[in-house]
Amino acid sequence: MRLACRAWFIFTCCDCCHEKLRVSMNCDPHYLRASKRLAEAGRVFCEAIMVAVLGATVAFVANALSPRGLTLSRNYFPSGTNSLSAAPMADIAGTNQAPAVVISVLRVNEKGLQFVDSNSVALLFHDPRVASDRVIFVDARDEERYKEGHVPGAYEFDPYHPGKNLNAVLPVCRAAEQIVVYCTGSDCEDSQFAALTLRDAGIANQKLFVYAGGITEWTTNGLPLEIGGRQSGNLRNSAK
Amino acid sequence: MNTRFSTVGDMAAVLARWLLGAIFIFMGMSKALHPVEFLKLVREYELTQSPWLLNSVAGMLPWFEVFCGILLLVGVAVRGSALLLILMLVPFTLVILRRALAIQSESVIPFCAVKFDCGCGGGEVFVCRKLLENVLLILLAGWLLASRCQKFCVRHHLTAGRAQL
Repeated sequence: MRLACRAWFIFTCCDCCHEKLRVSMNCDPHYLRASKRLAEAGRVFCEAIMVAVLGATVAFVANALSPRGLTLSRNYFPSGTNSLSAAPMADIAGTNQAPAVVISVLRVNEKGLQFVDSNSVALLFHDPRVASDRVIFVDARDEERYKEGHVPGAYEFDPYHPGKNLNAVLPVCRAAEQIVVYCTGSDCEDSQFAALTLRDAGIANQKLFVYAGGITEWTTNGLPLEIGGRQSGNLRNSAK
Repeated sequence: MNTRFSTVGDMAAVLARWLLGAIFIFMGMSKALHPVEFLKLVREYELTQSPWLLNSVAGMLPWFEVFCGILLLVGVAVRGSALLLILMLVPFTLVILRRALAIQSESVIPFCAVKFDCGCGGGEVFVCRKLLENVLLILLAGWLLASRCQKFCVRHHLTAGRAQL
């Protein structure tokens, strides 16, 4: 009888308990009071389950319909492999990089990618091959940040929305001899994910270089920025 | 719908419901509009390596919060929604605490000086303030869970119970 009374809330929870059942159980007042409380708790619990199921459905549909929604099955953070050639650790030690940049460089190495420091990036930027797209820069930040200011001539490629620019960037990358990928700075890994996405799309690892210092270091070094779209001609010298 | 407030307690309960609903709608929308940023923040908690789980949390949780917020605002399934919010807020608070402790031990600074973007929807925030906020939200949700006030509710409870709420 006690068990029956305790189980009562399960029936009342989903509104399927009949008065007849309550009468037939012939519970004593103590158990009836306890059962009432349990029943009320059960109803709230069932209501929460209903809200959870309905909310999960709404959330699933909203994410699927949203233009900014995530693809649930996609791995947005590819880990890469260590099997490909990476810059030796000695290269990093000799660059006098800030600790955060060094950590970022180590992450780049873990993923089997090559890194490039600020001096080499400046040299590459002034390389005459830039004019013929044999040396290119790829900006791995989102469109908003790209338009706020990017390395002049850099191609926009957001690794989280590869469908947007991949088709435009891939042929240029295939033709290029060196590709410098960057994002905000040492705190972001977007440049690494962009490089891995390009590598997975068939771009040779030897051509890919991750600029760990990113646009933060670029502007700190007083190098120019291009505002708006690519080749907009709106150049601005960043303050050193 | 009876729009007359019988007690100050009822009025406070309605305000608490609206406040909690509005907070969850705001927090949810700020994440739902930037799911990639939220995804990166969720990843930093290192709770799972599964892309499915990470993407599901980052893609769906903000909309789920918005949904619960709307239910509270209009007054539908109030107690069920409040219970769900508590079930979400408690683990959120614990993982924020865990991450804050990890940051504190790495950077050797006072606990309340720890500041990071917890992915809660409000950007970078001092951890003590965030924890206090969460505790207040849990208390508000707990109050709604215990409250019997049905003022300005479209449908306070979905299941037709026998006990008077």
